[in-house]
Amino acid sequence: MNIAVRNINLDAGHPASEGGMELLLWILVWSELIVFGALLGAFLVFATLDPPALAALHQALDLPLAGLATATLLTSGCFAARAAFGHKPRRNLVIAALGGLAFCGLKIAAFAHELPVLAASEGRLAELYMLIVGFHFAHVLFVAGLLLLLVAWRPAPRHVATVATVWHLVDLVWLLILPVIYLG
Amino acid sequence: MPRSLALPLPAVLLALLLATGASLFAAATLPAGPRGAAIALLSLFKAALVVLGFMRLQRESPALAAALIGYAALLCLLAGLRIALAG
Repeated sequence: MNIAVRNINLDAGHPASEGGMELLLWILVWSELIVFGALLGAFLVFATLDPPALAALHQALDLPLAGLATATLLTSGCFAARAAFGHKPRRNLVIAALGGLAFCGLKIAAFAHELPVLAASEGRLAELYMLIVGFHFAHVLFVAGLLLLLVAWRPAPRHVATVATVWHLVDLVWLLILPVIYLG
Repeated sequence: MPRSLALPLPAVLLALLLATGASLFAAATLPAGPRGAAIALLSLFKAALVVLGFMRLQRESPALAAALIGYAALLCLLAGLRIALAG
């Protein structure tokens, strides 16, 4: 029912451009997934080839903090979903953005004690870890710090649906980063 | 589309948080073989919950939902295999 209401609003607001915009959105989503997929694939290969480097990396990582960050990001995603389904979009998008910024804070706290250890180690796994997690961190910061708040300012249904989709992409990528990097 | 298929968002979030806790527990306690399988399955479960529960993409495009879950399944399978085989 919510979907039907949303689609009617979308069609009424931007009938001509919606199809093109949606295609662009999904091209963006799949481009991001392919880039992260390639990076995670490379991490899996290097981790398989060099188990001692993986063990050293895992010793430097803070698993409980990663778990807490995951819970924060998923909770934020839930608020974005509520916004996309028409429940107080402005308030829910702001809460989702705050959740994203809290995730960034937790990652900065983790980086603060991971980076000195990783900087001392030489190896591709540590570099790949920083590249993947740093790239994802940049996504969270950009989408939460700018896009979610920008759309929350004037929450047109079409824009809310778009930014929520991008936010769920960020959720999804983190859920794939977690088993490949942290839980292995 | 049938409304009964849509899980309430708090239930989806609760399932996601429980699965996250279970993943961390599995990573900390299980031996390599079962750990790989458990982490792969729990991670795929979480990815599917985000796609079907938060995005509810199956209502608009079952093909896109299947493609996203299939993509997640591939990465989860590879991660699970690496853990199970290499520890």
